[in-house]
Amino acid sequence: MRHRVFRFGLILLILFLPSVIFAAGGQEAPEITGTVSVEMWHAMSGERIQLIEGIVESFMKQNPNINVVVQYTGSYNDTLNKTTAAFRAGNPPHVFHLYEIGTLGMANSGMVTPIGDLTRWEEIDWDAFFSPVSNYYTISGKHYSMPFNSSTPLLYYNKSFFKQAGLPDKAPATFDAVIEVGKKLKGSGLDLKAPITWNLNCWYFEQFHCIMDAPLVNNDNGRTGTFPTKALFNQEAGQTIAEWWTGMERDGIFLDVGPGWSNHRAAFGSGEVAMVMSSTSDVNKLTNLLDEKGWEMGTGFMPRPVGAKGGVTIGGGTLWISSGHPDAELYAALKLVKYISEDDAQKKWHKGTGYFPVRKTAMKALEKEGWFRENPNFLVAFNQLLESPYTYNTAGALIGVFPELRKLVETGIQRVYAGEKTVKETLDEAGAKSDEAMKEWNELNQ
Amino acid sequence: MQSYFKGKWLPYLLLLPTYVILIAFLFYPAFETFRLSLYKVHPFGIRKIFAGFYNFRKLFGSADYLHSFWISFLFSLSVVVIGLFLSMMIAVLLNQKLKGQKIYRSLLIWPYALSPAIAGALFRFLFNPVNGYMLYLSEVILGVEPEWLTSGSLAIVIITMAATWKNLGYNIIFYLTGLQNVQRESLEAASIDGAGPVRRFWIITFPLLSPTTFFLLIMNLIYSYFSSFGLIDVLTEGGPANATNILIYQLYQDFFVNHKIGYAAAESFILFTLVVGLTLIQFRTTGRKVHYQ
Repeated sequence: MRHRVFRFGLILLILFLPSVIFAAGGQEAPEITGTVSVEMWHAMSGERIQLIEGIVESFMKQNPNINVVVQYTGSYNDTLNKTTAAFRAGNPPHVFHLYEIGTLGMANSGMVTPIGDLTRWEEIDWDAFFSPVSNYYTISGKHYSMPFNSSTPLLYYNKSFFKQAGLPDKAPATFDAVIEVGKKLKGSGLDLKAPITWNLNCWYFEQFHCIMDAPLVNNDNGRTGTFPTKALFNQEAGQTIAEWWTGMERDGIFLDVGPGWSNHRAAFGSGEVAMVMSSTSDVNKLTNLLDEKGWEMGTGFMPRPVGAKGGVTIGGGTLWISSGHPDAELYAALKLVKYISEDDAQKKWHKGTGYFPVRKTAMKALEKEGWFRENPNFLVAFNQLLESPYTYNTAGALIGVFPELRKLVETGIQRVYAGEKTVKETLDEAGAKSDEAMKEWNELNQ
Repeated sequence: MQSYFKGKWLPYLLLLPTYVILIAFLFYPAFETFRLSLYKVHPFGIRKIFAGFYNFRKLFGSADYLHSFWISFLFSLSVVVIGLFLSMMIAVLLNQKLKGQKIYRSLLIWPYALSPAIAGALFRFLFNPVNGYMLYLSEVILGVEPEWLTSGSLAIVIITMAATWKNLGYNIIFYLTGLQNVQRESLEAASIDGAGPVRRFWIITFPLLSPTTFFLLIMNLIYSYFSSFGLIDVLTEGGPANATNILIYQLYQDFFVNHKIGYAAAESFILFTLVVGLTLIQFRTTGRKVHYQ
């Protein structure tokens, strides 16, 4: 009730304030008079906190009349929950940071202002962005959030181990090749727990679908404006992926390290495995881990079944602008997210983390500096993304209940590990439950 | 010795602050939760559709939720029984005249000062499937590498262990206090009558501890149902394959991750009813056997 009253007040404010103070209308950008304060909440921990603060700092230098209060608010999910709570209390941050899988949920949350609605004030050159990146956050032609930190999975391997096992110096490119290399590594006398691992996360399962150019859900993967109603990940592609994945676990080629983002890195860093799949944003971290032990690291594309025609899609996060603020503040927020997506900030961000710069122009600048000659592993990550053709399947799915669907698939994979279910049974079960969840979500979001 | 208030309003006035707090922070939220549980609610609250007992019907029709019920029950039973048994034994040992008694006491009470998330992190170091100490230890001693956290049956054992250990300090404090109220004269008298230490414990100490035990029974029950979320989130995220997905964790998932507010409200209401029910049963049964001095 309280927030309805509040909202009414806000609407009044939005209606009348600009006309009094700014006397602006139509396409003209609202004037920023005095100092406008903008709040930004993000989900990047550790040394990345300072990196973001540095970027924001230089933004404020360029825009002395905008004051940005930036704050780390925990994981993506924590940030979302805090933002939701703040929104209900009538005090949301102007800019908040969220994972890619929250896109459809956010677009229908009533809490955000699509970037596409604000570009009437200031143009954004979407053509400068890598198309897989800007496409992901576009629904029926409208841009919803500003790409910030984008990544894909990448296959990392321990060059020194490969040499000791007498293997050629390149990452296996196909599903079969991974098994073959795995068997050779197992028989090589290296003291490994298993040849390969990655963390239990549905993200990889989704990416393999993109690589096989197969949809995760119906209605064009949710890409054309109609909400998906049926899971398709239990079809042929999903079964191929899950059979390969869990088959390797059963045969001792794959090490089950459970969920979370630290165990698989640790396993690779301490030489318990010779290959790991993880985010491209781990290039720096993993290179350093192997360096400490005197090992060399190589990278390769995600493996694919022979003949698969698709390519990876991006993961990571974007910046959303919340709704319910006066125009001047929204405009300041737009300027902020625009600045963060531009070349200078993105170059700094890429070098410090390993996330892709989101714009082609930033990449060209890095190329000119000779950055990729010194850091060839980053180039592999790039090429993998650039070689992806665009289809609804490779664009990544838009699903309202994505977090729940992920958990269902992950639980399903564990059921196969435990021998409780076959791949077909487990995927059908997860599919049926996802259908049910989508049905309920769609009913509430009509 | 009882005294009475003369005015009619004074007692109510004095009770008022308590009721204001109870209503604002307990009764009203509980009522709201129940009301919400009758709706299908939009993930961000912008829409509500009245659905009667739809959420409850769905939950009780779901094999996963019933499994969660069963796991929670076993988990709670183990945490309460093992926890009370161990802490009573430890407290009896600690109640002797020992050199360095204070050090032992402080060290044993320590785990209680940790937050569940920190306790979870400690156990994660120990039982990590990649390079945990226990993995190494079991390999050196037994020559096997058990999948401590990645096999369902072991994971629930680890979670139970962690939750029991975490609450041990709390129980020990109360048992120590209880033991210090046991009259030395009775014990000495029994001793003179020829009762050995075990017999003295069973016929004197144990009955005299019964109020403490009863209190701890209820507190541990509540603890095991409501407070182990942090441990599970850090250690297993409810997995592998839902093996550690107890009710409170499912509730967390549905509210904070899946944003299924209607379901979460229904689950919350069910959990609340369940624990109130179990507590009432305790009062009716065990409570009657408690011997107050």
